[in-house]
Amino acid sequence: MIRDITVGQYYASDSAIHRLDPRVKILGTMAFVVMLFIINDIYSYVFSILALALVIAVSKVPSSFIFRGIKSILFIIFLTAILNVITTKGTHILLQVGIIKVTLEGVYMAIKMVVRLIMLIIGSSLLTLTTTPIQLTDGIESLLKPFRKIGVPSAEIAMMMSIALRFVPTLLDETDKIMKAQQARGADFETGGLKQKAQSLVPVLVPLFVSAFRRADELATAMEARCYHGGNNRTRMNKMILKGCDYKASVIIVLYIVITVAIMIIW
Amino acid sequence: MDTMIKTENLSYEYSVTYEEKGKSITKKIVALDNINIEIEKGSFVAVLGHNGSGKSTLAKHINALVRPTSGTLWINGYDTKNDEFIWDIRQSAGMVFQNPDNQIVATIVEEDVAFGPENLGIEPDEIRRRVDNAIATVHMEDFKKSVPSKLSGGQKQRIAIAGVLAMQPECIVLDEPTAMLDPEGRKDVINTITRLNKEKGLTTVLITHYMDETVGADRIIVIDDGHIVMDGSPREVLVQVEKMKSFGLEVPQVTEIAYNLRKKGIDIPADILTPEEMVGAICRLKSAI
Amino acid sequence: MSIEISHLTHLYNPGTAMERKALDDVNITINDGEFVAFIGHTGSGKSTLIQHLNALIKPTSGKILLDGEDINADKTKLKAIRQKVGLVFQYPEHQLFEMTVFKDVCYGPKNMGLSEEEVNAAAEKALNLVGLDQSFYDKSPFELSGGQKRRVAIAGILAMNPRVLVLDEPTAGVDPRGRDEILGAIDHMHKETGITVILVSHSMEDVAKYADRIVVMNNGHVALTGTPKEVFSHVSELEEMGLAAPQTSYVMKGLKDNGLNVPQDVYTVDEATDVLYELLKQVTK
Repeated sequence: MIRDITVGQYYASDSAIHRLDPRVKILGTMAFVVMLFIINDIYSYVFSILALALVIAVSKVPSSFIFRGIKSILFIIFLTAILNVITTKGTHILLQVGIIKVTLEGVYMAIKMVVRLIMLIIGSSLLTLTTTPIQLTDGIESLLKPFRKIGVPSAEIAMMMSIALRFVPTLLDETDKIMKAQQARGADFETGGLKQKAQSLVPVLVPLFVSAFRRADELATAMEARCYHGGNNRTRMNKMILKGCDYKASVIIVLYIVITVAIMIIW
Repeated sequence: MDTMIKTENLSYEYSVTYEEKGKSITKKIVALDNINIEIEKGSFVAVLGHNGSGKSTLAKHINALVRPTSGTLWINGYDTKNDEFIWDIRQSAGMVFQNPDNQIVATIVEEDVAFGPENLGIEPDEIRRRVDNAIATVHMEDFKKSVPSKLSGGQKQRIAIAGVLAMQPECIVLDEPTAMLDPEGRKDVINTITRLNKEKGLTTVLITHYMDETVGADRIIVIDDGHIVMDGSPREVLVQVEKMKSFGLEVPQVTEIAYNLRKKGIDIPADILTPEEMVGAICRLKSAI
Repeated sequence: MSIEISHLTHLYNPGTAMERKALDDVNITINDGEFVAFIGHTGSGKSTLIQHLNALIKPTSGKILLDGEDINADKTKLKAIRQKVGLVFQYPEHQLFEMTVFKDVCYGPKNMGLSEEEVNAAAEKALNLVGLDQSFYDKSPFELSGGQKRRVAIAGILAMNPRVLVLDEPTAGVDPRGRDEILGAIDHMHKETGITVILVSHSMEDVAKYADRIVVMNNGHVALTGTPKEVFSHVSELEEMGLAAPQTSYVMKGLKDNGLNVPQDVYTVDEATDVLYELLKQVTK
């Protein structure tokens, strides 16, 4: 059934990574992603892979969960590899078919890009696997706060994200209901070509949009009635406070960056 | 007695434009026409009317979501037309809406209850205290950390009520809070608001088209076509069987039976509202023989 | 068209930690032309049950026979079954999607593969049955009142010319006047066309007024079944299930408890008036 789709793919567990402040995790993930694009030599790659493996081990998330995310983008990984192989110019030609040349440099490049991509996916899915959507929104709001002075509506962005999360199950439920109701009127979502399938979705999408707009309208009224007037002067019940382990984790992240850069300079 | 809500010649009009046979037609609609009411602090007032009678428009006025096109409305002494007081008005007259799904903002029950006080800029410790209190008041302690989508309709409405309570209002306006609930959920919500009114003295305005929910109110106001057509205690209003029916409303089955019996010449009291009263009245008549 | 539900069991999320038995060995036979009401509180299994009737949900075990034929036996006949058993969901107006009322009602018959004339004729007939005349045909369904929208949605199902009409709480959220209109239209149609009607409702008073037979569901089981008179005489059992009998039942029970000899199977205002008049007429004379 459609409502079985899990969103945010949070894996409930009680690991040291799960307990970290979301801000530390977001910044750590960002640092890792940036480093992925800087590193270039085999040693820093190996070091980053080891670091990632260590975090996975500490997080207690089973590897099957982690690799599930990769399965869904296998096609993109494959495409990246092919494109890199055939577009990279080089001198060591391994194979030539017509105008397409496969060079040794191209194969190296492809391997590098694929590893980078897989690490990127694992790294960022680790964030969502160990952080609940609410913690994530709260973390983003808090991190964006300094940018409020230059006009970034941090509280509003966070509010939009949390409302979106709140309505995902409601709208999935609704889609399920509308699909069944139209099936009861003889709708057929399974057979037919692409065009027919797309057309058969109109009777689902129109009511879904109408309902989403009605809900948005009613929600806006309800929020106004509860004195919502944007992020100004708004307080929060739950304050985020950094704990000892958060400071330790920050030090580890900085250490990771320093060592990686050092490896790149030395070799 | 202090006054919570007072209106003076309150009217509300709007125009709708629609197309008919290629021509665009603009029609003026009078949703509320010259309404004069005064609601005392601590009272429980039910506003009855069929769909489209104007009762929901009146509810939205109390929260300053809609302002009168003419006339005046004071909430706790604040004129709703004055922008300066809009947050004071919304804080002192909280509102619960019909669809439980479309008024819950947060993904966790207690965070949703905190939404109002957060908007008022209250200190975190005080918010925590108010949220815990409000959730306890509606007996939802076990669901504090739950996801709203896993709750029943009646439970969701109780959370919405808690969300209003956390703002510490003097008055709560409920706009058809039970229309989308099953009988159990309806009972649950009505019991909760009745208890709040009795225990906390919270002024309650219940907008509904279910007459059985109004039996426990201090006063019933019936609206039809934008006018106040009846106003009095449940015993005064609900026993006017013909009149109620003419406004598209119902009366309790026993009230209607008493009315029918009186028409047939039986000397039974007209103001019977519950089965117990009916049984009592019949037994008294029988023993008189 | 008769429906026979035999040993129907349905599990949600079977084999997982969230497994839940929604229906447990349900056996009901509904005869051709009957007006049957299903009653039960939320979670009693009645919504799951009615979605089985036109194969939107498949049984975990057990069978649904439509005129003796198992509806889940042949997947290619699904459309035909959904045409024969029309299912009106809760808040059906939420499924309207076309630009005009008429086009929306045409959606069902069109899916059945009828010719254009047949489709138009079916839509006209259906709209007529729910009491919407030609002036509504070209209106957008979104600009109608709540009660009108709901009637358009019901017409959308009727236009498929079903032999059985299943309605899941058709009066939810409408006021007394709208409720009388909708139930009146259904009752009229039932008498006129002899269509089998299955009505899911929370309201004892409505059910008492219209249904020939009541099926009370509780925890996935059929708890009680019989004519309204039979079912409402079980006041205390109904209350244990979180349901209530009409107010008149309580009056009759109260009088009996006070030693007065009155019938216990009275559940409409008119009947109660007659019974109590007989009881009290000496008082006036």
